Amino acid sequence: MLLIPCPNCGPRDETEFHYGGQAHVPYPENPNELTDTEWSRYLFYRENPKGIFVERWVHSTGCRQWFNMLRDTVSYDIQAVYPMGVPRPAAPLPPAADTGTASTGAASTTPLSPSTAPEGATK
Amino acid sequence: MSTQHLPEHPDFLWRNPEPKSSYDAVIVGGGGHGLATAYFLAKNHGMTNIAVLEKGWLAGGNMARNTTIIRSNYLWDESAAIYEHALKLWEILPEELEYDFLFSQRGVMNLAHTLGDVRESIRRVGANKLNGVDAEWLDPQQVKELCPILNIRDNIRYPVMGATYQPRAGIAKHDHVAWAFARKCDEMGVDIIQNCEVTGFLKDGERVVGVKTSRGTINTEKVGLCAAGHSSVLAEMAGFQLPIQSHPLQALVSELHEPVHPTVVMSNHVHVYVSQAHKGELVMGAGVDSYNGYGQRGSFHVIEQQMAAAVELFPIFARAHVLRTWGGIVDTTLDASPIVGLTPVENMFVNCGWGTGGFKGTPAAGMTFAHTVATGAPHKLNQPFSLERFETGALIDEHGAAAVAH
Amino acid sequence: MAETAASPTSAKNPADKNLAARLSPARQLAEAFQAGSLAGTVELSELPFLTMVGVRADAGSEAATRLAAVTGGLPAGSGAVAGNGDVSVLWLGPSEFLVVAPTEAHESLGGDLIPALRDALGGDAGQVVDLSANRTTFELTGPRARAVLEKGCSLDLHPRVFKAGTAFSTEIANIPAVLWKTGGETFRVFPRASFAEFLGRWLLDAMREYASPEVP
Repeated sequence: MLLIPCPNCGPRDETEFHYGGQAHVPYPENPNELTDTEWSRYLFYRENPKGIFVERWVHSTGCRQWFNMLRDTVSYDIQAVYPMGVPRPAAPLPPAADTGTASTGAASTTPLSPSTAPEGATK
Repeated sequence: MSTQHLPEHPDFLWRNPEPKSSYDAVIVGGGGHGLATAYFLAKNHGMTNIAVLEKGWLAGGNMARNTTIIRSNYLWDESAAIYEHALKLWEILPEELEYDFLFSQRGVMNLAHTLGDVRESIRRVGANKLNGVDAEWLDPQQVKELCPILNIRDNIRYPVMGATYQPRAGIAKHDHVAWAFARKCDEMGVDIIQNCEVTGFLKDGERVVGVKTSRGTINTEKVGLCAAGHSSVLAEMAGFQLPIQSHPLQALVSELHEPVHPTVVMSNHVHVYVSQAHKGELVMGAGVDSYNGYGQRGSFHVIEQQMAAAVELFPIFARAHVLRTWGGIVDTTLDASPIVGLTPVENMFVNCGWGTGGFKGTPAAGMTFAHTVATGAPHKLNQPFSLERFETGALIDEHGAAAVAH
Repeated sequence: MAETAASPTSAKNPADKNLAARLSPARQLAEAFQAGSLAGTVELSELPFLTMVGVRADAGSEAATRLAAVTGGLPAGSGAVAGNGDVSVLWLGPSEFLVVAPTEAHESLGGDLIPALRDALGGDAGQVVDLSANRTTFELTGPRARAVLEKGCSLDLHPRVFKAGTAFSTEIANIPAVLWKTGGETFRVFPRASFAEFLGRWLLDAMREYASPEVP
């Protein structure tokens, strides 16, 4: 079970979220100019790393906002959350000590308690 | 319910040889598919100077973690052909391998819970019959007759509105299947090398010429990848990409019970599939977790939902205790069909993407993949399951006939 | 019960008739709620027909300032509830809010809240949508109310974390719901109308153990 640190709402159960797959996959600028191979890469091919993965999540039953997350696909350790439209943080942090709860990275705007109004909660 | 005794466990079934410096072919992955491939390479193509490399212990990945269901009631011609060929092989393999791995053709039911399910299921029964696959449509009363413990009352959230039924389908003892293949492979001279992790590939231009392993470098003319869950990792080592995402898939067993469940019941809609194993434990599987994962474990809410669905369908399970739960890593593709064929790397072949349904396909995967590795070209049964289909658009969409959504 | 929500003697004008005709999503559970409630332990009731308005406006925008003037403020972040008098504004997202007001604030009953919000937004980017029929309201109150909710809600509901006067959009009993703590031992739960019967029965079931004497 993942405890996901929503940038707006703080740590919430995984069941409140939906997964959006790999982040930072731009729609091709000129789809009509792509070869079949290039188009297939956009449609069907995504990274599938064993380790740090950059992915999108949406807090479906909370604030209904999308955000990006760096997560280790082996340890399931969450290393950072950051807003949509922001580039991937340069270097992932070293894995946090296993405390049984999700950790947040430097790029995170995550509050630690749901009762505190988070910085960045209002645009 | 079988009252057979399990076969006596012999002292050993295969040697544990040191890897040689060179083989005619190397199969990466010592699970069901890898062993079956090696078996058919030796038997059908006379290739016995080959090795199966397994990074852990033999059949300790998805072969140890699946729910052992075997069926061939897939919608499309291409799928029906390969899965039905697998089923026919399952029917003769105990004799051929001289090992009774308790293939029990107790039938498999796929429940329909909505009008959409009903239409889709009846369509699938028709398609199956046209392809020579045994298939029947059962109304709720017939469902009840075949499986008396099923709740067919209409006061549950997703009432049973009928089911497809494949009488020749069933279950087998997964460990014994692996051991049966391993023993025959070993007899024919195949080296099964455990604790041997592939760490890279040697290439001469675009051609693979060897495998780097945790136990040294092995030269080889051909490489077959059969490492479900880690296919993307191996492909990346070899310098190409696969349209695969790896997800956790979970299953569980109860403690042992008297025989209560005579068949196999699957429900795509409420995401549970149940059979009773030979020893008596109830074996249940769930859907995949939504996120990518290599952790061989999933989220508990998936198990919770699966249990809720099972108890609603089978009220008698309410007092059964969960003995253990576990997870495996499944390769999923966007069309829920496998990839068996050539890769961009010359002399390297891939068998992957079987999603949640690799076990049932084991014999046909082995037979067709062995053909592909030996001849350098696909067998007619696996030709449609090429990597190119993602470029040509000739997808084989089996989301409806796959056991669960993935 | 819906039929008793408006006093029969007051059905003098069209607005009152309008209310008398409404059926609340959990009306069929009203007796069960009464029977399942235990005074001084945990009590459950439906508060039907509260006026609810979905408001969207970017925080800091001029429209947000004008809307805030109508409601008595907009909440700044997750958990916060703003408002004035009997109008409350719950934070749902960075630019999304739920205005909750008494039944009679609805414009069909002559209330002016919704027209005022609509005027405040004007032609600017944003939304003012009447959502009064979208959700119903359950009130769960008593010393055991938290224990009941904890059976199906993964938020930390301990009072040192979950303070009276805060509200969260979350999941209760595996369905989406807004949970608002209005007092020390009083919670309002807003399920969507189609989930009202399910959640009502779920809460009743969760309350059952507290209706019998505690096993020492």
